[in-house]
Amino acid sequence: MEPLIEEAALDRTGAPLDAMTAPTGSVKKVDTRHKSPTQIALARLRKDKLAMICLTIFLFFLAIAIFAPLLTKLEGQDTTTLHQDLLDEYGFPTIGATSDHWFGIEPRLGRDLFARFVYGARPSLIVAVSVTLITAFVGVVMGLLSGFIGGWVDRVISWIIDFVLSLPYLLFAIAVPAVILTLFSDDASTADTSEVTKARFVSLILVLSFFGWAPLARLIRGEVLSLREREFIAAAKVLGVPTRKVLFKELLPNLVAPIIISTSLALPTYIVAEAGLTFLGVGLVEPTPSWGLTIANATTYYRADPLYLWLPVLAISILVLALSLLGDSIRDAFDPRTRR
Amino acid sequence: MLFYILRRVISAISVVIVTVVVSFMLFFVAPTDPAGVICGPRCTPERLNDITKSLNLDQPPVEQIVLYFKGIVVGRDYTSGGVTRHCDAPCLGYSYVLGVPVTDLLAKAVPVTLSIVIGGATIYLCFGVLIGTIAARVRGTTLDRVAVGSSLVIGSIPYFVVALIIALYATFLPKSQYVPFFSNPVSWAAGLLAAWLCLGLTNSASYTRYSRASMIEALGQDFTRTARSKGISERRVVYRHGLRAAMTPVITIFGVDVAYQLVNTIFTERIFQLPGLGLRILNAFNQYDLPVLMGGVIVGATVLVVMNLVVDILYTVLDPRVRLG
Repeated sequence: MEPLIEEAALDRTGAPLDAMTAPTGSVKKVDTRHKSPTQIALARLRKDKLAMICLTIFLFFLAIAIFAPLLTKLEGQDTTTLHQDLLDEYGFPTIGATSDHWFGIEPRLGRDLFARFVYGARPSLIVAVSVTLITAFVGVVMGLLSGFIGGWVDRVISWIIDFVLSLPYLLFAIAVPAVILTLFSDDASTADTSEVTKARFVSLILVLSFFGWAPLARLIRGEVLSLREREFIAAAKVLGVPTRKVLFKELLPNLVAPIIISTSLALPTYIVAEAGLTFLGVGLVEPTPSWGLTIANATTYYRADPLYLWLPVLAISILVLALSLLGDSIRDAFDPRTRR
Repeated sequence: MLFYILRRVISAISVVIVTVVVSFMLFFVAPTDPAGVICGPRCTPERLNDITKSLNLDQPPVEQIVLYFKGIVVGRDYTSGGVTRHCDAPCLGYSYVLGVPVTDLLAKAVPVTLSIVIGGATIYLCFGVLIGTIAARVRGTTLDRVAVGSSLVIGSIPYFVVALIIALYATFLPKSQYVPFFSNPVSWAAGLLAAWLCLGLTNSASYTRYSRASMIEALGQDFTRTARSKGISERRVVYRHGLRAAMTPVITIFGVDVAYQLVNTIFTERIFQLPGLGLRILNAFNQYDLPVLMGGVIVGATVLVVMNLVVDILYTVLDPRVRLG
């Protein structure tokens, strides 16, 4: 009925646009006997070399984030100590990468770059993963309810979805932290850093979740609308299966593919969103170590200290690239119709 | 048709109204303290009281929203310290920090954002469609794989990272600045060139893929075979018959994309330091200037809704297969 907003919304989240997409690789042939659709998809995925490389890269960054305390202990540094003695009078570091400071130190403040780098992987992944989980849950529930119950419930939820999708998310992402801060402290102008840090973290997750569930809900609603007319649902209803069971035992298993595809494509976009908003100064704030923050600080020193800028730039680019390609591979594996 | 347009217009208006109400509640009914912020650290109770009155903060929230809507539709008066200032419609209030009407501030920023988006969009539409069409023609060859692969890689790297690297290292480009078009078109274009290239090249990645897929579909259709069987040149088949059919979906996405970019150029503006809508809103955030923030959100939402509406209606005109229900 209204293909445009839908396409744009799908496009914005990176979800598949049927004929318009160009998947990365051809679908791998696997033995499909005695296997569920999910098992077949996973088997296809395991045969996809590119997907496995991307998965390894993702797991590598995940390990960095999880073992950040261990890694910094191994180096013998932490994220907050100011090594002013290693800076010259203009604030530039006098050392490069040494055995004490593996990636050198920050100009001006003299904090250890390796420690800030490994801890910086954490907020990206925590924000992205929690937003992905929240949006997947809310989106699926809303889509199921809207598609299955129909009537005024459907009309209300559809209107909310349209409404959310027609709002400028980036502008709200800038506006909301200003307001949320006042909920955490009495006076926004004198809030201390721990309050600001907490408020920003919460508002980041809130804003991204608020705007993230709608595309998935719309997708699920569409799927449910076509599924609910099928014979197996009618059969379940005739047999007197309670609605809750029809929803979660009959419908949900049929929605596994679209849910997995859209969440795996959404995950990297949230990593980008976290880093981007933090870079703009509306996401996380000092002293939280975050790649977006390091990139923003490093722009003034890009000539004197290229490593300072390029480490987080490369890390986030590689991580996001790997996750996007992995998402494409997952889509190819779960939905072979979109092959080129 | 008329009924369809009417229904879409009504739903668009409802979205804008709800946006205004939601953002109003967010900014003024939430326990924020606008009067305290304007008053500053050396504040006397009388002055605080005066400011509270002048902003109508002492009235119930519903009345405040009504006043705000009245300001947008017919304008309103602000009385502060015995002086009454009239704010013309569409009035979005006064900036706390600069003391000028929000409408003026935003109106000054709009041409900058428009210039960035129009220039960038021209580049990515032309460049992306050209590469996509070529890739579709040589489908399956190394050239095609390189085009698709590099567009995937460019499209996956975070935009702000690409923009930042271009801004820092592409120093051979003219210095990024905004000069109004009517005062000097040449320096207008020169100052925006870096931003245009950045926006254009990164976005052309997805347009390469769209137009490639769309072109492949069009070249597989019967009318293409008919065109070939007439014996006309391959160039004519592709660029006359194929491209026209392939462009409809691409143009649709283009319209929606431009709408999103009008409100999402914040990264480009921040990195290239161009005083557009996004940078204005970002500065308002840093200065805790709530009316400007809120005005920006409302203007952004309105632009999005109106653009979506226009694209939807145009789409039904362009593509007769779309059935209105």
